[in-house]
Amino acid sequence: MIADSGLLFTFFNVAVAKQYLPAILEGTLVTVGVGIAVVITGTLLGLVLAIARSFGLRAVALPIVAFADIMRSLPPLVVIIVLYFGLPSLGVPLSAFAVTWLSLSLVLAAYAEESVWAGILAVPAGQMEAARSTGLTWWQSMQSVLLPQAIRRAVPPLTNRVISITKNTALGSVVALNEVLNTAQGATSHAGNPTPLMMAAIAYLIVFLPLVIASRSIEKRWRRA
Amino acid sequence: MMPILEVTGLRKSYGSTEVLRGVDLHINAGELVCVIGPSGSGKSTMLRCCNLLETPTQGKIVANGHEVTSPSVNINRVRQDIGMVFQQFNLYPHLTALNNVALALKKVQGKSTSEADELAMAALDQVGLAAKAKSFPAQLSGGQQQRVGIARAIALKPHVLLFDEPTSALDPELVEDVLNVMRDLRQRGMTMLVVTHEMAFAHAAADRVVFMDGGVVVEEGSAADVFERPREARTKSFLARYANGRAS
Repeated sequence: MIADSGLLFTFFNVAVAKQYLPAILEGTLVTVGVGIAVVITGTLLGLVLAIARSFGLRAVALPIVAFADIMRSLPPLVVIIVLYFGLPSLGVPLSAFAVTWLSLSLVLAAYAEESVWAGILAVPAGQMEAARSTGLTWWQSMQSVLLPQAIRRAVPPLTNRVISITKNTALGSVVALNEVLNTAQGATSHAGNPTPLMMAAIAYLIVFLPLVIASRSIEKRWRRA
Repeated sequence: MMPILEVTGLRKSYGSTEVLRGVDLHINAGELVCVIGPSGSGKSTMLRCCNLLETPTQGKIVANGHEVTSPSVNINRVRQDIGMVFQQFNLYPHLTALNNVALALKKVQGKSTSEADELAMAALDQVGLAAKAKSFPAQLSGGQQQRVGIARAIALKPHVLLFDEPTSALDPELVEDVLNVMRDLRQRGMTMLVVTHEMAFAHAAADRVVFMDGGVVVEEGSAADVFERPREARTKSFLARYANGRAS
């Protein structure tokens, strides 16, 4: 028993690890699931907002700017809590999964909108003029000429943001979303041993380390283009 | 002869600044007309009004029988008839030379990819760049980029081509390549309106020369008349400054 009493027993307890592995795996799946959903809806919404902002109508642009500024000012945790406890009083109670998904999507959309918008602004005015001069409509010019260039510029600054917001799925634990951190915390107090937390940390590394490394090469490649 | 492009009483203001103060101009089929004048004379603005890249404040523009300035005009339809070549080339950097030319053929004229590529290739061939079809703009010299810009405009088979200082952004040794393409286009009967600082080109190649200053046409006539026998004092002093090697 003496060998078990050290660091290994406390943080990497094999018996505890075996017991809680299925739960941790399930939690990891929830984390990955919310994460993927957030990335898809968040970036798409951000793209749509940036395009809408480029219509050049103040009535459209102002609410978008307000949305982006507010969402970027609020801590994501606050957004999650407000929506989780606020929406039921408006008659739309959402699950912890839905609230986490929605909240983080809105936050990511705000950053994505700003990145794509900055990308659109960085494209010289002559590009739109050249496209329009050949008879392309505004939307065709946007689609074929401006957005491909704008997105290329937006992707490098956005990759890090996507990763950091996806990691915020851990905040779902506050509203009892059974993602990996929440599962690990529950298991830790149940077992009286922090090994499940270490397992969660390893799960985060397995999921996010490849993304971080990939983002570096994406940044390099897309900056050159 | 029926004018391909007719500009009548064209005015353009930015706020309280009036840049064009009543410009009248016409270009007949097959003519090469050069517009010269000092910087700020409104010649580029006039050109950009012809395909509504700038919205005229007042006046009438008719291109190939279509009134460009009519409120009910289908501008995307009319713009196919009015090609434009830009000072800064404005090639799409993310597309190959071929796709720069083919884009509007596909998107605007609804041609299939193979048909559009064939026409784009023919246009590139006409400017001597068929071999560069797969190159991206960044891989081309300025002169080559501008020739792709010309190919992009002529591929749509426009009735008139507008050139906005097509050689001003080029290194001197590359200017002649572009001017040669323009001379060749003239041989083929293309109608062209060229805003330029290339006085030698205007003198030698233009059918007519228009001198603009202060937002109006000061003088126009054959190249020989305007360059060798200018009537107006402003034309004389402008040309004298040019002869002394000072551009505006």
